[in-house]
Amino acid sequence: MNFPRLWIAPLAVLTLAATPAEEPPASQQKQSSTATALAWDARAVEHLLNRAGFGATASDIDAALAMGREAFLAKLFTGFAPDGAAFEVVEPDRPSPAERRAMSEEQRRKFGQELRRQDTRQALEYAGWWVDEMAAARHPLRERMVLFWHGFFTSSAKEVKSGEAMIRQNQLFRQHALGSYADLLHAIVRDPAMLLYLNNNKNTREAPNENLARELMELFSLGEGHYTEEDVKEAARALTGYGARDGKFVFNRRAHDTGTKTILGKSGALDPDGLVEILLAQEACPKWVSSKLLEHFEGRVPSQARVDEYAKFLRANQFSTSAFLKRLFDDPRFYADDVVGQRILGPLEFMVANCRRLDVHPPGAVIAAGASLLGQQVFGPPSVKGWDGGRAWITTSTFLQRGNLAGMLLGVTRAEDIFKEDPALLADEDDAAAMSGEMMDEAMGEEAGAMTDEVQPPAASDAPARGERAKARPQGPRGREGASLRLMEAARWRRELDLRARCRASGAISDQQIVDRLAADLLAVEISPEARAAMLEYVRAERSAKEIPEGQLLEKKGYGESILRQTAHLILSLPEAQLN
Amino acid sequence: MNQSRRQLLLGAGALTGLSIFGARASASVRLRASPLFASEVPRTLVLLQFSGGNDGLSMVVPFGDDAYGRARRATRIADKDVLRIDDYRGFHPNLARMNALYAQGKLAVVEGAGYPSPIRSHFKSYEVWHTADIRGRATGEGWVGKLVSAAWPDNRDPNLVVHIGRNVPYSLYSQTHPAASFPTPTGYKWAGEASERAALEKGGEVCEHGESMDEREPANNLEYLRKVLRDGQASSEAIRRAAVRYRTKTEYADDELAQALRDVAALSAGQVGSRVFSVELGGFDTHSDQKNRHDALMRRLDAALPTFLADIGGTEAGKNTLVLAYSEFGRRVRENGSNGTDHGVAGPMFLAGEAVAGGLYGKHPSLTQLDDGDLIHTTDFRSVYASVIKSWFGVEPARVLGAKYPTLPLLKA
Repeated sequence: MNFPRLWIAPLAVLTLAATPAEEPPASQQKQSSTATALAWDARAVEHLLNRAGFGATASDIDAALAMGREAFLAKLFTGFAPDGAAFEVVEPDRPSPAERRAMSEEQRRKFGQELRRQDTRQALEYAGWWVDEMAAARHPLRERMVLFWHGFFTSSAKEVKSGEAMIRQNQLFRQHALGSYADLLHAIVRDPAMLLYLNNNKNTREAPNENLARELMELFSLGEGHYTEEDVKEAARALTGYGARDGKFVFNRRAHDTGTKTILGKSGALDPDGLVEILLAQEACPKWVSSKLLEHFEGRVPSQARVDEYAKFLRANQFSTSAFLKRLFDDPRFYADDVVGQRILGPLEFMVANCRRLDVHPPGAVIAAGASLLGQQVFGPPSVKGWDGGRAWITTSTFLQRGNLAGMLLGVTRAEDIFKEDPALLADEDDAAAMSGEMMDEAMGEEAGAMTDEVQPPAASDAPARGERAKARPQGPRGREGASLRLMEAARWRRELDLRARCRASGAISDQQIVDRLAADLLAVEISPEARAAMLEYVRAERSAKEIPEGQLLEKKGYGESILRQTAHLILSLPEAQLN
Repeated sequence: MNQSRRQLLLGAGALTGLSIFGARASASVRLRASPLFASEVPRTLVLLQFSGGNDGLSMVVPFGDDAYGRARRATRIADKDVLRIDDYRGFHPNLARMNALYAQGKLAVVEGAGYPSPIRSHFKSYEVWHTADIRGRATGEGWVGKLVSAAWPDNRDPNLVVHIGRNVPYSLYSQTHPAASFPTPTGYKWAGEASERAALEKGGEVCEHGESMDEREPANNLEYLRKVLRDGQASSEAIRRAAVRYRTKTEYADDELAQALRDVAALSAGQVGSRVFSVELGGFDTHSDQKNRHDALMRRLDAALPTFLADIGGTEAGKNTLVLAYSEFGRRVRENGSNGTDHGVAGPMFLAGEAVAGGLYGKHPSLTQLDDGDLIHTTDFRSVYASVIKSWFGVEPARVLGAKYPTLPLLKA
């Protein structure tokens, strides 16, 4: 079964109205700035909200400054607003064993298909709901940590093949998002999605399967080099019998190896919890977790001394991630110049932060589709190691696509703009004019093929008519790019974007003021002088071409807004827009 | 780029309907594609990674070894189904066209490839294969990165190394020659009008430093991003041009690997300046239900690689293209409890193309003399790298690999 196809298809039927995101309300309680060595200014607030959340808008920053540092930090750990509606997981209506027996082979197959379809659809809806939570920023740090754990304790829907289990795992991350890593490690060895993902269902006394045991040590607790092959084999024995059925945890007592195991020097009739206790007691464990947390929040590989210091703290605080992060947010090194604005942001951050800064509110599923295109699919990490992050997010291709997606959020780029091939590409520059009609037809045919995919948006009545599929064009999984883009377009939402009003409200009049306003609003870092000059030159040229005098751009409803959006598109396509 | 040159290019682009981004790249394309240079198709290497740990015993099957039958039950391939190479080994039944390549002498099989002190973690073992060093990433660039620095130090073509797929392997990592990468050439572009593209190019440009920027790895992320933006802009149009213009001789399957190889053929024919391509076939981590999954992977490989070689066969590109296929490790000899196999050690490597001296190389590892249940490697994979580096690219292997390894006569003299 072609999973990506299933994964994307239900997006097509999204006709959600845009749900207005709530700004974190500025707390009324004005607290005098407490005596602290750390500055509480726009730079600090923006940095904190970029790293501990999904980007800061101008009003977020004002509100945070008004609140004061202490009150703001307290809210950061408890949430700025009450939670919205919880996601109600619907349990699939599975047939009882008796009902199953009564079914014909064909009925069973049909029933299974329908269950899987519903299950996939529900996982997609959940992914959209989660991204909506990120964008709503009611509790940005919690959502940030859920994403961190998703990349740390990875599981992928593609292998787990149970959307329900993926949802439950995400709920587990929400429950422990800011709690104890130790609790989470205990919980993860009985998490159905994890047990399915790493084949522990098949890990039995007679025939151990080492997959979970190995990753538990290598990626989830210690890191390579802190255990032996023998430890992996023994740990696998301790994990025997833990499995999942119908998305629920099951313990198969008969498959469990009750014998004595020796793991990292400790012997006993160890079970999974006994194994986890041994892992937690290792010196390498808090170091591993600390280095991952520091790297995630600071955007660079931490020094060994720093890791050691934070590891000691984490151990002393019973693996509390809240305590860890509170300390980090109070650490002047977190606000150092080589940290602030120096981190390449991930695709979900890029999409969510841009939506927030632009104040547009596409459905979460649309944002998620964009992030997937850029290499970060919710419920689909590329491997058990999670996402590499940092510079690995940026290839020549994903960089250009980021700009395209920003253009789609702004409404200035359409999917077909990206997939429309310039017919001139078919010919040498010199004989472009002489290109035969046949070649033109063929080129357009290929384009139509590229625009077509097996993923047809059935509910998108306004989708353009599809041409015949050309043989030579990629389809199937490779067509996923096109499918995601088109479906982003097909999902209908109202874009209430008024950049003119925004500039006017800030008092901007001249071209330079307009460029500066947009750059300040849309970028997390300061625009470079070169880019600023290029943007100014662009605005000037476009304004002049429309014969609009300087100072009157914001008066022109059509051209004015259009030029502002194009400029915003350029700004969000700049190198600066990839940093926070 | 100075102002007058920019205006010149802008003007030229406007005349022919080309964008400014293509101007630099297409100028070099034109040079290479002109009749004077038409016969100079450079030697290229296509790296094909079997990701996840390929079960070599199910690909080149030692059916003549009793120990195979004893160790394998659920994943066993019956003697009668094996496409025999000799009385000991043969290809997986789904590799009929690969078998034909072998018979034509266009496929070399290096048995038992691996390295000492093997690592059973996917990621760490990838690092070893990608850096050709047991220390992995700690040693710096990937082996292809070191190869391009040694072979073409002054070549700054952004298309020099191309990865077609989602995740760029570390082997391509280079401080001076970053790879261009994309899942598919279609859509590999920034969509905007010419005036906007010009503004973006200017906005992302690093002033004053000029070409010296290329010489070192940008220390900060902003400079790095500027460089990627510039490379992406220069690369994308040349790539799309080559992909859209190409006409295949053979019909490629509707499959990710087949389509990626179709793109490799297109970029070779279009002479976009690439010397190393990288593609991937994923899904080899067969801890469970191995038979079905591995069978399907073999079918996909057999549909893709021979089609590609047939397509470019008889052309200059055909003569000058060498395919090297490998996996980060093989799998355990014994099956696990899930009708699958766990991470192992040694496995076969493959070289394919018209330049290959086909046949068997190395030595099949013993199925009874095992190291803790694993095959013991008989050929260091770096010997294969060294052979390619030396015979194909004429570079002293130690400059790339950091040490000497015996070479194998894998290529025709």
